[in-house]
Amino acid sequence: MMPAAITVKHLKKTYRGNTAPAIARLSLSIAQGAVFGLLGPNGAGKTTLINILCGLRSFDEGEVHVHGYSLPGQWKEIKPLIGFVPQEIALFPLLSAYENLKVFGGISGLRGAALEGCIHDLLSKFGLEQSKRRYLKTLSGGMKRRVNLIAGILHRPKILFLDEPTAGVDVQSKQVILENLREINRQGTTIIYTSHYMEEAETLCSRVAFIDGGEIISEGTPAELISQQPGCASLEMLYLQLTGTSRFQV
Amino acid sequence: MNKFGFLVYKDFLLLARDKAGLAMMFLMPLLLVVIMTHLQNSAFLAVHESHIPLLLLNHDPDSLGMAIEKQIGQPGVFEVHKTIHGEPLTEEMLVKAVSRGDYMVGIVVPEQATMQIRKNVKRYVMGAFHGQAAPSPTDSVQITIYLDPVIKSSFRTTLMSALREYAVRTESDFIFNEIIAEVNRISPVPVAAVRPARHQVIFKEQYASLKEPDKIPNAAQHNVPAWSLFAVFFITISLSGNIIREREDGSYTRLRLMPCPYAFYLFAKAAVYFCVCTLQFAALMLLGVYVFPLLGLPALDFGIDYFALAFTCISSALAAIGYGVLIGKVAGTHQQAAIFASISVVIMAAVGGVWIPVFVMSPLMQLLSRISPLNWGLEGFYDVFVREGTLAAVLPECAASLLFFAGCTATAIWYNKRKRITL
Repeated sequence: MMPAAITVKHLKKTYRGNTAPAIARLSLSIAQGAVFGLLGPNGAGKTTLINILCGLRSFDEGEVHVHGYSLPGQWKEIKPLIGFVPQEIALFPLLSAYENLKVFGGISGLRGAALEGCIHDLLSKFGLEQSKRRYLKTLSGGMKRRVNLIAGILHRPKILFLDEPTAGVDVQSKQVILENLREINRQGTTIIYTSHYMEEAETLCSRVAFIDGGEIISEGTPAELISQQPGCASLEMLYLQLTGTSRFQV
Repeated sequence: MNKFGFLVYKDFLLLARDKAGLAMMFLMPLLLVVIMTHLQNSAFLAVHESHIPLLLLNHDPDSLGMAIEKQIGQPGVFEVHKTIHGEPLTEEMLVKAVSRGDYMVGIVVPEQATMQIRKNVKRYVMGAFHGQAAPSPTDSVQITIYLDPVIKSSFRTTLMSALREYAVRTESDFIFNEIIAEVNRISPVPVAAVRPARHQVIFKEQYASLKEPDKIPNAAQHNVPAWSLFAVFFITISLSGNIIREREDGSYTRLRLMPCPYAFYLFAKAAVYFCVCTLQFAALMLLGVYVFPLLGLPALDFGIDYFALAFTCISSALAAIGYGVLIGKVAGTHQQAAIFASISVVIMAAVGGVWIPVFVMSPLMQLLSRISPLNWGLEGFYDVFVREGTLAAVLPECAASLLFFAGCTATAIWYNKRKRITL
């Protein structure tokens, strides 16, 4: 069995002014080299969990270890090991795609030919070579998403956090993103990813966890989870059974 | 390029591509300096050097009338008119013109004024030498002065003192001449009419500058540094907006996860905005030196110590940057930062003496002005431009500005750390 990339024990987080916890005594272990899907409805605690794992948010109770380093104390050691692709396009609109990547790659520690080579390679793989000189604000939504992803993987992180990386993109862009994620994973990067697209998670993830109300309600490989639940033929059906359909009924 | 270099590169590109923001940062202060200097220069001249319009109706073409006419006609304070639209002046016309506010002062010298003084003086001298009766108070010469009601009392006092001096001088000339004439009449040995020097007591006026005593402060020496500081502090809006925009669009979140100290992130911004501030100072100073004379405004003189000038510019720029960084870190939204930064800079400018010099403020406001970073900068520039100060002279103000920068930046870093812990 692969050693754990991430270990979470009895994690608890309550936002100020709220009585219900966003994360309620959650425990989790993610093996190195996995593609781990965090699935759940809006407000389930997925983004909070990812932010805590990245060190962007504090937590009230529990233990979090990322690649053997504990949070929050060893955040500095963790930062070079992780890549983060947030939900929003976290890039500079007045810089070109190339300039954005040069800045983020440079700050990550890449230099000279290695940086240029890496940018060129990834822009080609993601089909952006022709558009690299255009200001980010002039690119299409799908192109921006791709640049957003490249900015998170330029420095070849050991663990990559993706918060809904394919939200709102066209089919072609989605395919390019997913194919490249598989390749990154094959090269040894652990991927932790949140999504609302169950079909996408089913094909991409080696393991998934359903999270609702800040708790993990089910965890396993997609095949295991589907087979364990009678009458379920897909992750989407399982998801609806686990999280319920009544919450949006009028 | 190292990590810091990449951050500077990013901030430089972002700023360079914000054309509207750059135009605001440079064109607005240039325009402001020219307009404000023009306005204040006019006001300055109206009070100190220019030509206060004065109507003179002189019915006495003799010594006193001529002396008054000569003295008030000298270049300096008054612009003397003896006609209105080419028409010969009457007392009635003079009174109406002054009461309408067309002229600030009207002077009527009566007929036979010199003759009357001469007669009175003669009677005094005769009285002194031969025991004759002195003239009665009703025999005095009366010069009427009409004043615009809006005229300041200080100005009225000055005017009256000047006129009284001319009259006394004329009178003393007559007394001297009469005494000499009378002495010659009774003395067998003729006495020469050797006049004493006109003034036995003289007053030496000089401005309290350290090197060149005759240096006079002008509108440029106040307005160029004052509005340069205002412009430099106005970059807090752009700087804080830049920080908040990065926070709102998520790019700051990504930067936080990079293996790079937060201080690098702040100091990279500070470095880029420091260049902007330096260019603002340079542009406005050069405007004062080279363009002001072409516009009929007094030229800016850089003083004698360029190091002191550079140190004042650097410390003021850093104070402004520190303030912008702190607002950008603490403010919740872009709008909040823009409103707070603009209003607080305007208040600090007003309190600091950018619009109204500190010395005309009330004692309480003078005390308050000392807490404005703009006042520290302005006092530093006064030291360099007006008081001809050196590096030692500007050190207290520059130290205050640098401490302000250090305090603001340290607070921003502390706030960032605290925020991360409590998020």
